[in-house]
Order: sequence, then C-alpha cells, then structure tokens
Amino acid sequence: MNKSVKFPSVDTALLAGTSLGAGAVFLTLLGNPVNSGICISCFLENLAGALRLHGSPRMSYIRPELIGFLLGSFFMAHRGRRFRVTGGSSPLLRFFLGFFMIVGCAVFIGCPIKLILRLAAGDLTAVAALFGLVFGIWLGTRYIRAGVALDRAKNLPQPNGYILPLLSLLLLAFLLLNPGFLQQGSSGPAARHAPILVSLAVGLLIGALAQHSGFCITGGIRNLLLVNEKTLFYGVVATLISALMVSLLSGHFHFGLDAQPASHLSHGWSFLAMTLVGLAAVLVDGCPFRQVIRAGQGDVDAGITCFGMLTGGAFAVGWLMRSTSAGPTFNGKIGVLAGLIFCLTVVLALRPPTGSGPGNRRN
Amino acid sequence: MDLTHKLTLAALLLLCLTTAAMLGRHLLTLNRAPGETAAWESDSRPTLERLVARNGKIFSEVADLLKKKQYRAGFERLREIKRLHPDNPHTLVFRARLQYGSGLLAAALHSYRLAVDRQPDYADNNTPLYIGDEIMDLISEGRGKLRRELQLKPGDGRISMALEDLSYLQRRIAGGCE
Repeated sequence: MNKSVKFPSVDTALLAGTSLGAGAVFLTLLGNPVNSGICISCFLENLAGALRLHGSPRMSYIRPELIGFLLGSFFMAHRGRRFRVTGGSSPLLRFFLGFFMIVGCAVFIGCPIKLILRLAAGDLTAVAALFGLVFGIWLGTRYIRAGVALDRAKNLPQPNGYILPLLSLLLLAFLLLNPGFLQQGSSGPAARHAPILVSLAVGLLIGALAQHSGFCITGGIRNLLLVNEKTLFYGVVATLISALMVSLLSGHFHFGLDAQPASHLSHGWSFLAMTLVGLAAVLVDGCPFRQVIRAGQGDVDAGITCFGMLTGGAFAVGWLMRSTSAGPTFNGKIGVLAGLIFCLTVVLALRPPTGSGPGNRRN
Repeated sequence: MDLTHKLTLAALLLLCLTTAAMLGRHLLTLNRAPGETAAWESDSRPTLERLVARNGKIFSEVADLLKKKQYRAGFERLREIKRLHPDNPHTLVFRARLQYGSGLLAAALHSYRLAVDRQPDYADNNTPLYIGDEIMDLISEGRGKLRRELQLKPGDGRISMALEDLSYLQRRIAGGCE
C-alpha cells in the first residue's frame, strides 16, 4: 500500500457511498438492467461490444455512466489540484491483472459494486461471492505484509494523463452521433438503459465524489483488514444501506436464492471468481471502479489496467469466459483458474528475498 | 514560438479539421445507407416484429391444432415445419406448448429452456418475442407439483433436472445482465 496516501474524511466516504448505492438503484428504476444500475464489468463488456471487440449485439452499448465516472474524476481532480500524471509501474502486469479481474467478475456476473447491489436487492446467491471477495482481499493483505507490491510509479509528462479523458469524450461523441461502425444492440441488456443525460449526470456526480473521497469497495475492506482503518469501509457500508433502502422503497427487494436476475447457483465458482477479483484488486491497488476513477485523475497505470479490463470484457463475452444463468461455462472456470495462477505467480515473483522486510522494494 | 512549432500547430489544426470533416461526411452517408447498419439492425424491434409475423404464418396450423387440443396432429405438423425450418427456435416454443398440453411438464420446461437459450429475446420483456408470462404461468403451476413428486421419488433424476430447468428459466425471466 502506498504510505503517502492520506485517508479521506468519513463524511466524503459516506457521501460517495450513499450516492453510489442510491444512484445505482435509481438508474435501474430509470431503465438500466435489474441489479446492474452500476456495474463496471458489465459496462466494460457493453463498451467492448459497442467497439466491436466481441460479436454479441445484446451486450453492446456505450454506457454513459462509464464516461461520467472518468470525466467526473478528471474535473474533480483538476478542481482539487490532485491531477497528478504518474505511471510506469509494471504496465503489463497491471494489464493482465485488470484482464483477469474482469474475467472473475464475468464468472460471478458482476463487479464488487454489483455484488453489493445484488446483496442489497436480497440476492442470497451473492453471499458466497462476498466471502470470496473478502478472502481474496485478506490474502492480498497477507502478501502486502510480506512485502509484495508492484514497483512505484513515477511522474510522467502531462499529455499521458489526458489520453483517457479525451478518449471518453470521443466515446461520448460516438454515443450521441451513433456512427455506423459501432455496434449497438436493441434487445437484451444493451437495450436496457436509463436516459443518456441522466446516466451521464449520475456518472459525473459519482465519479467526482469517488475521486474526492478515494472511494473503493476493495480498498475499504483492505484498509480495514490491513491497518484497521474504517473510513472507506464506512463508504462501502453506506453503499449497501442506501441501495437497500432504495430497493425496499421501490419494491425491488426480492429476498432469496430463487428467481434472482443475472445470477447462478454455482456458489463455489462465485467464491473463487471473487477471490480472484479481491486478490487482483489488492495487487493493482483498487477495484475496477477505482481503476476508472484513478485513470481520470492522471494515473496512467490505472489507465493501463482499464485497457486490460476492457480487453478482459471483450474476451469474457467473445470466448464465453463467463457465467450464464445456468452457471459458469468451462472457459469461464478455466479463466478463473488461470487468473488465480497468474496472480499467485506475480505474488511469488514480487516477493522480496528472504530476510528483507516489506520496505525493501524494487524501484 | 519558433517557426517549426507554428507549422506543427497549423498542421495539427488542419489535420483535425480534415478528420472532423471526413468523419462528419462519413457519418451522414452511413446513416442514410441501409446496408451499412444491417449488422446491428439484425435484432432491432422492426426485425423482431417481422419475425413474429412470419412465425405467426409458419405456425398457424400448429396453433389451431393446439387450440383444438389435437396434440398428436400438432406434433406431426411441427415435425414437418422443423424439416422446412430447421433453425427456427419457435419450433421449440410450440413443442413446449404441445408437451405441456399433453401433460409432459418436465419435457415442456426443458423445451422452453432450449428455446430461451437459442433465442434470448423470448425472456426479454423489451421485445415482441417475449413469452416470459406464459413460461411463468407454467412455472407457478409446475413448481409445487414437481417438488411434491421429488418428495415421493427422491432419487428421480428427471424431476431434479426439471426443477433445475424451472429455476434457470426463473432467473432468465428475472432479467439483469447476461
């Protein structure tokens, strides 16, 4: 963990968490897929499809929320003078960790945010995944304590930090102009979306608040386990409670294992998939959502991870490395196992030589 | 600002303008050319509506036989249609309806599952192909019956499979991301 990081105030973490939870269910009420008001892995799979990186029109749509997160973070970082262009820390490792994070999410059917949203909607099939995520994060904190960490980032020339915000503006133009070289489904999840401007506004708000607070689902749990620091964890709890409240008030709460949207009953694979996500997220210092936010504030390493996640989204759908309502596909299971193998190999390779402490880092 | 810098800026501006103009023209022509958007129109609402109308014609005789409860004749007619239209997933829907009419609940659930796998729009209430309500009626009726049967015959794999199909169909119809 980066020791120079200051912990945000509880108020901002609570505000970010509440906006995220309530905003996600609100987007569902306005048209986003059920329990997927906000899901970074689903959104990236949709984006990959829209860019024709996979061939399923049903999963092809440029989600304005994703653009909003990145631009909201960009504007907030600029406003708060926190826009710092850094990078150069193990780019390929980050790319593949991002790739496997999304494969893990695709096998569970959702990123850590969607995990919280599914729990808040009464979906008990997400409980095994929650245990998996916490276990993966706990494992990651054990490795951090043992001195495992990716090398430090360094300052980079300013233009590096503007590439992703500019790309998101280009995506916004694509979304509004609807050029023929993109793919957009008119049925399935792709056709389920809130009005573009509302999605964009919610995305901008949440992106700005998340940047300001440092909000991160896995980061909140990691800080709690690693240094007993609860600020971000309160944000995670706020996400759960606000989503639960809106779900209950809007009649979207459905408690149980049966008839849960976008779910399956292969709990062992849900556990393993989210273990992968938790471990990879600790190694790259943030959940998929946090990577997008960090990419907006000039973190080029997070940008590389985002490209890995986008590629993971394309492969998850294109190579069927995911789950359906029937459970995980064979490719999905292999993807999760390969991801765990990759993470553990990285951990072993980065482990400091015996006798040296956690401070002995490769720079 | 030296001359090289100025020239570079001018070239950049020129390139941006040219690219924007080309893209603008391209977008305008693309939006007018029907062939260009065919790939992503394949699942559009008008296409699906045409499909529903086409299926209505193809399966009209089977639908009549189903209404008259002439299930055996219905199955025979369906076999002929399947020979003519082997890739049409609607044969699975009619097979399910005929099986349900004939009292073959487990087989009907499995046929519905195959139909939804082949054509996910059957479980998508955003499309004209949606038959989720019809499947949910069958599920509501079948769940208790199948659970009772499983209690009587706990080792019967066919009943467990039917319950699995039922649970799968419920999750698909509940929606969400795929």
